[in-house]
Formats: sequence, structure tokens, C-alpha cells
Amino acid sequence: MCKNHFTPIHCIIPPYMLKRLMESDNKKVADLATKTNFRSFRFRNDRIFFHKASLQERAIFGLISKQAGKDILKMEVYDCKQKTDFINASLLWDSKTNQKITSVAGKNVIKGGKASWDFYWQLLSRNSIDNKGMLIKQYVHFDKGMDNAYWDGRRMVYGDGDGIVFSSFTSDIDVIGHELTHGVTENESNLNYDNQAGALNESFSDIFGIMIKQRFNNQDVKKSNWLIGERVMIGPKYALRSLKAPGTAYINHPELGTDPQPATMDKYQNLPDTQSGDFGGVHINSGIPNFAFYVAAFNMGGYAWEKAGRIWYAVLTDINLVQNAKFADVKNLTIIHAEKIFGLNSPEVFAVKQGWLEAKV
Amino acid sequence: MIIRLIRTGGFIPVTKVSETKVDFSDQELANLLVTIKHDTAAPKIKDGQYYELNVGTDSTPIDLEKVPDKYKDLFNKLKSDLKIIK
Repeated sequence: MCKNHFTPIHCIIPPYMLKRLMESDNKKVADLATKTNFRSFRFRNDRIFFHKASLQERAIFGLISKQAGKDILKMEVYDCKQKTDFINASLLWDSKTNQKITSVAGKNVIKGGKASWDFYWQLLSRNSIDNKGMLIKQYVHFDKGMDNAYWDGRRMVYGDGDGIVFSSFTSDIDVIGHELTHGVTENESNLNYDNQAGALNESFSDIFGIMIKQRFNNQDVKKSNWLIGERVMIGPKYALRSLKAPGTAYINHPELGTDPQPATMDKYQNLPDTQSGDFGGVHINSGIPNFAFYVAAFNMGGYAWEKAGRIWYAVLTDINLVQNAKFADVKNLTIIHAEKIFGLNSPEVFAVKQGWLEAKV
Repeated sequence: MIIRLIRTGGFIPVTKVSETKVDFSDQELANLLVTIKHDTAAPKIKDGQYYELNVGTDSTPIDLEKVPDKYKDLFNKLKSDLKIIK
């Protein structure tokens, strides 16, 4: 129903009649018809804009209730039974039927998948991996003793670990959030997966992974230990990565030695862009932007997702974040978005600048 | 000849290696490598693990899913024997 009832001719006059009225010799009628035509044009374009708008954009304009879509999580969990093919994997659980299961790995990924989906939806109005309600597919018990988890462009895949150095890769919510965030990045800037862009790709996954865990555990920046994968790595002194102190997640580990991540740009490792070179050290140099985020979030205080998380998400979804971005590009974008969200010279802008300064970027 | 299976990559980059002695002819090895060669132009899997087969000074990226049935047991054994390079 039209709500612009400034005059009786609004909304009820067909276009051909309006055109005739705009050409009327009566100046008053012609003026009125022209203004009506202009309003109709704007109204039509508004409708087109909102029709095409993402859920996030519609939420910004207050057009949707965040709780209204609470039931639209779509997720399936499959058991690969320690084989390496997906076709013969059996369905363990799906969000439609929400059946009870006994598999620990299955329960872990349901919990982690829900925590990740809730984080993106409830805090950032993002509807799943693609922001269009994509079905989240998770595969557990992949291969015999696979000590890894990965995102292959369509699904999240978890191994059971070798039982010596690594336990099941489903054991930590941050690892699940990390893999899901690879899907988010792929649907946004689609950052390359080598050198600095690859390290940023990894860093966004670590940053959102740790925030998903912090929120699930109700931990603020002081309470969190900022460790990723502390249950996946067997042994109380070990974790996969540390955002607070990159390079210290494991020290003198009997099998792995010491965590190779640098925290600062002067320690950046120039590795070959090959499989054996970790594509230029994407899992190694990610320590640098990880540390910048930690410092920024810690200095802002409270819960990381309330301020720093909003800034980093704005960057992750910014069309100006190019596929081959470098650390300095993300530094600049985080400052721009901190200024937009919290204002010029705000403590949040200062905290972001301080983060990158301490990471020596 | 000695063939070495090398695995790299993963959520944290770890290199694992195993090796065994085989009696392949040069032609048989060449044919096998053509069959199992990994397509390096394929999209990179995020946190993915990669394998290569090393013979002497040559290393070839390989896809274990492409290993013919005839060689499955050999490669399964190599895979299960992988040990972390410290």
C-alpha cells in the first residue's frame, strides 16, 4: 500500500495518464504530475535496491528482525568412516530432523557449527557462509588418523588425529570456526592463498575462530588465553597457535619443535610459494596480523567481537579488500572502518593503530 | 630404487616422510608418475595437505586418490609409515 498520500493522484494514476497530466497546459496539474512521477521513480528504485539487498544490508535499515530467521540454520554432518571419499559418507545428523547422535566428533561439529553460524547471524546479520543461507556441510572421521581439518571450497572436513601429537580436529570450536570462516572469505574478497594475501586469509580465519570460541565461552579479552586448538594438540602446554604471543603455542615440543610464527613484520619469513613452502608461509606469517588484532582488541577491552570484531568484519566484507592484499592494505582498511564506526580520533581508532604499530606493519 | 613419500601442509605446516625400496623400471616409474601427478592448477584447498613422491633428486606433486589399484597397498603402507621430520 502506498503511504505517500500527499495528494489524491499519488499511486492510483496509471503511467500513461500521468504522462498526459505532465504535459497539461494547466501548470499546477503539470507540476503535481511531475512531482508524482519523480516520487514514483524513487519509490521504484528503492524497491529494486531492497529487493537485491543482502540480509546484512536489510538489517542495517531495520527491515528484518535478527531473531526472525533464527531457525534458518541449515547444516548436515556426515561420517566418512575413516575413508577418503565423500560419496559413500553416511549422514549422521541434519538440522531438519535434529536427531540425537552418539558420535563425539559429530556432536563437536554440531556444537561448533551452530556457534559459528550464531556468531555470524546474531552479531553480524550474516546468513551462513555465503550470506544466502548456504547449507553447511561437515564431514568427520575423514581418512585413518588424519591430523588435519580443512575447507575444500564446498565443505569442512575433519580427521581424528594421529592420537600421539594431535587428537580429533573437532575438539576445539575455534578450529571449526576457522574452517567455516575460510568459506566466508571465499565468498567475500576471496583472498589469494599465498604470500601476504594467504597469511591474511589464514589470519581472518584465526581471528573469527577465536572470537567464536570466546563468545561461546563468554570470555572477554582478559579472560581468554587467545590460544587456537588447545585440545587438538595433545599435552597441557601445547596449542596450534597463539594470537596473544605468536611463536609460543608450542615450545620444544618433542615432535614439532617450536612454533615458527613471527609476531612482528621484521621477522616476516620469505618462504617459497610452493606446497612445501606453505605457499609463502601462509600459516606462519599469519602470526603478524593475528598479533595486530590481539593488541587492538585487548586495548579496546570488553568482548573482542563488540568492537575489534566489527571492524575486522567490515574489512573482510569490504569490496576494497583486493584478492592480493598485503598487510599494509588491511592495516589501512581497519583504520578507515574504525573511523567510520567509532569516529575520528576515537579510542578504538587509536587501539587499531597501536595494534599494527606493535606488529611493526 | 628408493621412493620417498613426503607430506606437507595442513592446519599447522608439518612435514612427514616415509620411504621404501621398490623394483620399478624407469618406464614403470615414469608411467606411474604421469598417472598420479597432482594438478597444481587446481584451486588450493584451505589448510590442505599435499603429497609428493621423491625419487633421487626429483620430486613430483602427486594425488593419492589417483593411485591405480595395483599400487594401492604400497602407497597405503607408505602413508601409514609417515613420520614427522623434526
